[in-house]
Amino acid sequence: MIELKEVRKSFGKQEVLKGISLKVEKGEVVAVVGPSGSGKTTLLRCINFLEKPTSGEVIVGDLAVAAGRAHRKEVLALRRKTSMVFQQYNLFRHKTALENVMEGLTVVRKLPKAEARERSVRLLEKVGLGAKLDAYPSRLSGGQQQRIGIARALAMEPEAILLDEPTSALDPELVGEVLAVIRNIAKEGITMIIVTHEMSFAQEVASRVVFMDQGTIVEEGPPGELFARPKEERTRLFLSRFAPEGSYSI
Amino acid sequence: MKLDGAFIVEAFVRLLGAIPTTLLITFVSVACGFVIGTAAALLRIYRVPVLHRLASAYVTFIRGTPMLTHLFLIYFGLPYVVDGLAELLGLGFRSASIPMIGFAYLSFSITAGAYLSEVVRSGMLAVSRGQLEAAYSLGMTTPQALRRIVFPQALAASLPNLSNSVIGMLHGSTLAFTVSVVDINAKAQIVASTNWKFFESYLAAALIYWGLTIAIERMCGRIERRIGAYNRGGVA
Repeated sequence: MIELKEVRKSFGKQEVLKGISLKVEKGEVVAVVGPSGSGKTTLLRCINFLEKPTSGEVIVGDLAVAAGRAHRKEVLALRRKTSMVFQQYNLFRHKTALENVMEGLTVVRKLPKAEARERSVRLLEKVGLGAKLDAYPSRLSGGQQQRIGIARALAMEPEAILLDEPTSALDPELVGEVLAVIRNIAKEGITMIIVTHEMSFAQEVASRVVFMDQGTIVEEGPPGELFARPKEERTRLFLSRFAPEGSYSI
Repeated sequence: MKLDGAFIVEAFVRLLGAIPTTLLITFVSVACGFVIGTAAALLRIYRVPVLHRLASAYVTFIRGTPMLTHLFLIYFGLPYVVDGLAELLGLGFRSASIPMIGFAYLSFSITAGAYLSEVVRSGMLAVSRGQLEAAYSLGMTTPQALRRIVFPQALAASLPNLSNSVIGMLHGSTLAFTVSVVDINAKAQIVASTNWKFFESYLAAALIYWGLTIAIERMCGRIERRIGAYNRGGVA
């Protein structure tokens, strides 16, 4: 489904990803956790080439794109297989909630307007914003904006959705509504990769957790195992900052 | 000296006929300048090899020299180029057949282009990187993302500067009288030449320019409210 092969990424002299290999199967929900600066977000952004990897290969579905000789058309095709939910929502500011969701459908997928509209309305209703179709993002709360961001990502019917710290910019009381929406789509069997700081959420929703530190994958495994019995010292240290050891129930 | 109120009114009425010329010069130069400016801004933002240096040189040279100088350079220089080319290609066309206002159009478009490129550039830089990334994440091509997402927001962000430029060009268009184009200002001089009541005549011209400026401000304000309706942020 999604595969990264020895992906490396450097910004100037600093190597942020030091040869990441990761495989995500169809229907999996993978949570990527780790301290800030560990390269989680960069890893996610390499999958749709918002960051161009320095070397390595990215495979989504039947399309393999090598970092070195990625052609513009290949990158475009790769991006059309996934969609992304951003930490800062990044809704199109000059478009209403409905237009935000429709935009990709009409411009990229070339769907007729009526059909795009119908699908978009349905998705906005699904994320609980059926009453806000004509509202501009600046008039909506962070939680509402992020739910629109999720609807926009879902609308493209991607092979996988990439979520980049979807609740990190939210006020604490708004986190719940966004997590509830993500929880629902996880149940539908949509492939997702979530970079998150919400450990309990990762534990609940993810079918697999990947722990990253300093540009490498330290360890990965089912949430029950990784959170309860981390094999690596670095993982233990990281998790101990979130909760006292042993307090995770399975 | 006594102010001749009646003549102000008379001059005012006679000057009205020159308004189309002034507006035409203004809008042609702003419209062409906007196209030139957008191209220059894109070349610079995307650092297109070689061309972005040319664009930068164009902007600094034009902004570093007076608008009147541009007009004279075009007025005295263009005929050489046109006639030289025509001779080379064996065409019958001669620079003498270029209407005077043509020089003003060309020269002021070049002037406006340099100033507008900075307006466009600042507008585009005001659009956050995340907007472009969101467009890319949906699979849009760069032209799609620019057209659908970046330009509309950049335009909204640059409207105050844009209206400034339009007003600047309106007032700058008076320079066209130096190449014998009869705009409002030139007409004011002509109207007063029979009775030497220049003050009254120019006062009437000033009122017309003021009125036109107010109209432009209003128009821009209206457009701003309309295409900026999404924007309820900012400090004001």
